[in-house]
Amino acid sequence: MTGEDRAFTVARAAVIRRKRAAPWLLMLPALIIVLIFFGLPTLYMARMSFNLSEGSKLFTPGLSWANYQTVFSNEVFVGAIWTTLQLALMASAATLVIGYLFALLVWLKPAKWRLIFIGLALCPLLISEIAIIFGWWMFFPKNGLLSFALTSSGLISDKISLMYTEFAAFVGLVYLTLPFCFFILLSILDGIDKRMLEAAADLGASPLTIFREVLLPLTRNGMLVAFSQCFIFTMGTYATPSALGPDTLWTMGFLVQEQMLGRNNWPLASALSMVLVVLVAVMMVFTRALATRRATLHV
Amino acid sequence: MTIAALDLQNVRRTYGRVVAVDNVSLTVAKGEFVTLLGPSGSGKTSTLRLVGGFDQLNGGSIRINGERIDHLPAYQRDTATIFQSGALFPHKTVAENVAFGLRMRKVDASETADRVKQYLGIVRLSGFADRFPAQLSGGQKQRVALARSLAVRPAILLFDEPLSALDLSLRLQLRAEIKNLHDQLQFSAIYVTHDQGEAMAMSSRVAVMRNGAIEQIDTPENIFHQPINEFVYTFIGESCCLAVRLGPQPTDGAGGRIDLSLQGDHAPGDARLYIRPSRLRFGPDAADLPNRLKARVEFVEFLGDMNRYHLRAAGLELFADHAGAAVHRAGDVVDVGWQSQDMRVFR
Amino acid sequence: MSDGSTPLTRRSVEPVVFRVLTLAFTIFIVAYVLIPIVVTLVMSFNEAAQIRFPIKVWSLGWYGDFIASPQWTDALKNSFIIAVGTAVISTTAGILAAWAFERYDFAFKNVLYILIMMPLFMPGVVLGLGVAIAFGGLEIGGVSIYGSRGLVMVAHSLWAMPLVFMLMEATFRTIDNRVVEAANDLGAPPVRTFFEVVIPMVSTGVISSVLFAFVISLNEFVMALFLTDRDTQTLPVLMWLSLRSAGTPRLAVASVILALTVFACLSLIMLWYIRQLRKVSR
Repeated sequence: MTGEDRAFTVARAAVIRRKRAAPWLLMLPALIIVLIFFGLPTLYMARMSFNLSEGSKLFTPGLSWANYQTVFSNEVFVGAIWTTLQLALMASAATLVIGYLFALLVWLKPAKWRLIFIGLALCPLLISEIAIIFGWWMFFPKNGLLSFALTSSGLISDKISLMYTEFAAFVGLVYLTLPFCFFILLSILDGIDKRMLEAAADLGASPLTIFREVLLPLTRNGMLVAFSQCFIFTMGTYATPSALGPDTLWTMGFLVQEQMLGRNNWPLASALSMVLVVLVAVMMVFTRALATRRATLHV
Repeated sequence: MTIAALDLQNVRRTYGRVVAVDNVSLTVAKGEFVTLLGPSGSGKTSTLRLVGGFDQLNGGSIRINGERIDHLPAYQRDTATIFQSGALFPHKTVAENVAFGLRMRKVDASETADRVKQYLGIVRLSGFADRFPAQLSGGQKQRVALARSLAVRPAILLFDEPLSALDLSLRLQLRAEIKNLHDQLQFSAIYVTHDQGEAMAMSSRVAVMRNGAIEQIDTPENIFHQPINEFVYTFIGESCCLAVRLGPQPTDGAGGRIDLSLQGDHAPGDARLYIRPSRLRFGPDAADLPNRLKARVEFVEFLGDMNRYHLRAAGLELFADHAGAAVHRAGDVVDVGWQSQDMRVFR
Repeated sequence: MSDGSTPLTRRSVEPVVFRVLTLAFTIFIVAYVLIPIVVTLVMSFNEAAQIRFPIKVWSLGWYGDFIASPQWTDALKNSFIIAVGTAVISTTAGILAAWAFERYDFAFKNVLYILIMMPLFMPGVVLGLGVAIAFGGLEIGGVSIYGSRGLVMVAHSLWAMPLVFMLMEATFRTIDNRVVEAANDLGAPPVRTFFEVVIPMVSTGVISSVLFAFVISLNEFVMALFLTDRDTQTLPVLMWLSLRSAGTPRLAVASVILALTVFACLSLIMLWYIRQLRKVSR
């Protein structure tokens, strides 16, 4: 290799090095945000959950499992974990059914309706959760619109209130997660050739048979993803169930907030948060594993 | 000695174990139009991308007008590429597209305006300055791309299969236009294509590539008439291949007897005989030709001004083109003949 | 008719049942989605101080009340400032990161992808708590970070940035890499290429990113609840706190204002999209 060649090899290496450095430079702002404002707080929270809470101080440094013991033995917290899981499960199942039908409706209807329905589905996504809560808050109580509509139409004689019931919380939660489910399933359905349905109908299959034999297998993965999306989202929300549900409806999110802002017990709030994060993570890994296994089996 | 517009010495590019460009050396003199011709995966586009600076080489050197440039990024090289897709800036007008390179080179405004006008005139798109690319046809887009690259007056123009996305008639028309422009403006260029017709029609010289290496580089005439090896021969022009076993009883290689007689001495053993289909004669025309083969007509394709006869002799398949009305029908057994200089034998 | 084996009755009854069910479901879904929105809109024009149906007297009184109350207008102002900040931070960071992912190959790409997307899947309570305890006691130059609008902007970016990143990654994938190479080839250095060629090509995606980030921040209140104090609290936080004490039509007015802002953003995206379509195709 001549001296000239060596010099150019060095120069070429510099170009390649610069090219290698470029993506890291581009990612720097995003990495700073994620690492400093997400990674660091998460580690901090994990550490905090082993601290102790004594007296009036926010926390005393320590290293004990006491907070986790509290979370898993105290009736209130164990109850909250079950309530959260139960509520998330029920609400997600309901969302899946309604969202599936909604997506199916939009998919099957002529294209001119499509934009209107999509606009409709965007509403819950684009309106603040607090505004939606307040909307239901005016719909369910004794002097609310529901009661007024039912009494004035003569369906019932006495005013009724569905406010502060589990049903109200449930309605509110489904409302929040409906768009996720709808859009995931619609995108899956859009990938299916509609002529397949006509072909099946031509062969004499009833709508129910077509659904069971054709649509269900094709959308199974999408349903799984949609369900887990809703489940994860519902587990984390606390405002809707606590504002619309009964006073006894304590979710994990609510207790985190309560311990943090109401009782100033940082270590316990952190421990609860950690449990919540782990549950979310488990749910994600679980659906992912299930979805890929199904994919390899069926496709 | 004059300085070459482009000089590649032992250029090499590997991706892991795959050798994309294998010690390619190539010079393009000023005003020369050199075509890199080869099947997909032969390394012709990879070579072009190394020259353009879109990829870094592993070894060797590239010089433009005598200056070493292989260490420079694409935006510092005096090259201009015409891509297959045209790659026009969709949000800029035709005039803005053509002006882009001049703006980057800090050419002043009045000169830029003049040159935009000049080159749009050259590619016959003067009235289209304010259109957006989406409003142009495929051929017009390619002409804008050409004007955009010509306007910066690069040391070398790089064509990356610019016509392969167009339909046939447009392709032929633009190919003539590019040739005309080259005669007029005498730019230096490398033209990558897998279409041998394009290569033959436009080039000063053609480099046939395979597996990342140049097999032969020469004028189109020499490439066609004196192919250096079997690959070049088969890649350029249509040909029939007869894989035979020569000997006292010639066979089709699999053992099927064939009625073949060849002029001159041919050593016995496996051989592949190549003949251009346009040089095959048959019927009465074949009678006094020195090389002959008896074959049966399988079917006849009507190609407009000629008929293509698909023939079979035992396991051998060949086809011959014949102008005029169809003289044979499927099932006929005919004599096929050819001159010795029209045949190449590879073993 | 070739399908003589199928009973005629079943064939003719099925579509009718099907149509009735479809209609019923359509009514249900439209009512379900619109109820809380319509109720809020109607209530905002109520004159009385109680939330009570039917509404007897209509007025714009509560709108006037909202505008006259410094507490509520300050909250709205905070919301705007924080939303603008979030939009700027998350769009910048998200677009640059998406470009890196689209344009370059580098180590740990998959891990980094998951890392950037992860905050999106975290409950707001958890993110709010984490940021609050990690930065709760931190002071820079004697000014407490906790309670500052900047901290809320970054916290909101934890949700907005992954969304921008996802959207822009998909958008960048649609552009022809050769166009970028052509710009380089004609002499434009990478930074210039990015701003003069790449960004204009994806302008609809960029505008959408900015406005989505803005909307996410504007609507969010769980993280904001953890991270703001009296002076910096946002409109949704104030709404939440007043809902816990007593609901008045003022809350409905606040809801309507929030929603109107969001729909204004959406209209902007639509307008921009139409403009781009016009520009590029005739």
